[in-house]
Amino acid sequence: MSVIKEFTKGIVKENPVFVMALGLCPVLAVSSSVENAIGMGAAATFVLVFSNIFISLIKGFIPRKIRIPSYIVVIASFVTIVDMVMEAYVPALHKNLGLFIPLIVVNCIILGRAEAFAGKNNLIRSILDGFGMGLGFTLALIVIASIREILGAGQFLGYNVLPATFKPMLVAILAPGAFLVMGLLMGLMNLKKK
Amino acid sequence: MKYFLRLGFVLLVITTVASGILAYINSLTEPIIKENQRKAKEEARMEVLPEAVSFDSISYLNEEVIYAGKNNEGKLAGYTFVASLYGYSSDVKTMVGVTPDFKVNKIKIIEQTETPGLGANCTKPEFQSLFEGKNETVMLVDKDGGEIVSITGATITTRTIANSIRTGLKFLRKIEVQSEPEEIHREEVTE
Amino acid sequence: MELLAKIFAMAIAAIFVQNFVLARFLGLCPYIGVSKKLDSALGMGMAVIFVMTMASTFTWLIQTYLLVPLKIEFLQTIAFILTIASLVQLVEMIIQKTAPALYKALGVFLPLITTNCAVLGVAILNINEEYTFIFAILNGLFAGLGFTLVLILMAGIRERLERAELPRTMRGMPIAMIVAGCMALAFLGFSGLKF
Repeated sequence: MSVIKEFTKGIVKENPVFVMALGLCPVLAVSSSVENAIGMGAAATFVLVFSNIFISLIKGFIPRKIRIPSYIVVIASFVTIVDMVMEAYVPALHKNLGLFIPLIVVNCIILGRAEAFAGKNNLIRSILDGFGMGLGFTLALIVIASIREILGAGQFLGYNVLPATFKPMLVAILAPGAFLVMGLLMGLMNLKKK
Repeated sequence: MKYFLRLGFVLLVITTVASGILAYINSLTEPIIKENQRKAKEEARMEVLPEAVSFDSISYLNEEVIYAGKNNEGKLAGYTFVASLYGYSSDVKTMVGVTPDFKVNKIKIIEQTETPGLGANCTKPEFQSLFEGKNETVMLVDKDGGEIVSITGATITTRTIANSIRTGLKFLRKIEVQSEPEEIHREEVTE
Repeated sequence: MELLAKIFAMAIAAIFVQNFVLARFLGLCPYIGVSKKLDSALGMGMAVIFVMTMASTFTWLIQTYLLVPLKIEFLQTIAFILTIASLVQLVEMIIQKTAPALYKALGVFLPLITTNCAVLGVAILNINEEYTFIFAILNGLFAGLGFTLVLILMAGIRERLERAELPRTMRGMPIAMIVAGCMALAFLGFSGLKF
């Protein structure tokens, strides 16, 4: 029972983006289209799960003093792997996400989970935690990206979903739209909590 | 002291293992990445000059090779070059296919990060087909007296593309025939 | 003279046109997190300018004289993040020893900077844009200045917002995002500006 909770908590109750407001940079930067959002979510989830696995496995060998640098090396390695693999197999997506792939290293969600969870829990729990958090992050990205893409381009995943008479609100896919949509969504989450 | 040596040792082991794994993966992905880049350019070339079956390099423009394409009878099918200029907020690169009489055959925008919804509309086929059959004398935005209809709200991007292609066409004509065509008497419009 | 013009153009681009926070979405965590009070925003800004300039310097040297000659560019991410992390530690220790007053002002912000993606971002951008050594350092400096500018502007606005009557649900983070959106809208006016 509690094992399942490790998985589900990241999706709603402790959603890294909406509830904990972590990892905002990539969320705002790549959410101008749903396709980019899914790509970014997948890349971050991969890094989260695998760095959680590794850190959970090697945590016994790492002296406390150097745990943060060690975690950073583990995370950076997985980020580099994702970077290289994406460039080889999905070059177009890699180009769209650009700088934000290497910057997964400094995404507070990943180091945060390594430090707060994987460094203290066993393998199974760490994997579930990584998956849950990754999924929560991806879902948040998709929600924001859907709103921005539909309002700003009248499209969803590149397909027209609104009638031709709808004039796209360009601002939604430009930089200010990211902040405005995010702010309104956070307000909405607060409203629900009350 | 011994404790610090141990710390250093553990970090060293972790970093070495990580570098080893990365080196291995890099050796797997690097050839694929190189091949992808080569293929992407080749495909763009084929797309803008479909009649050509073989390409020979003849010169350079914007640090990219200018190719002369031959059709399957070995005759000149046209040229391809990469036009490049800074647009509204990014470098806009266009693969241009040129017919043997120096008219644009087809173009394909291969690199841009202009404003989404405005300048970025330059990648739409409707826009790219505007350039077909035009030579350098009319390769100007309508506002500058040419025949290229600007994208709504993105004159600068359109002008960038038209100007970069015009420069390329002129350069190509210069190296290929070393003479200006007779029909050019239009004054150069200053940007 | 031409060099000066180039530097000026770069400054305008890094501070206004391609502002790290509002146009590139880098360094949002401190931008939202440390912008509640004007003086802490100022402290954070100074620390970021300092670290970004230093990070640009060292990562450029490492890339050019270590990673490229040894053909191990694929280790860039690891090398850069470790450089930045140790740099921040080093700076913290040096300031603590030599300038206690400065340490008191900046100390709390320094550890936070390691995970500020703007720092790693500027380091990678310098390499991607193929800047020369001097321009890489300058880019780091200007990017830091741009970050500090919007951080201070934001803090000024938020100090006033404290006293404004807002719907309960919008207080705190949500309204900070909306304000950031309005600032981004204003900074959008700079886009397309070039020299």
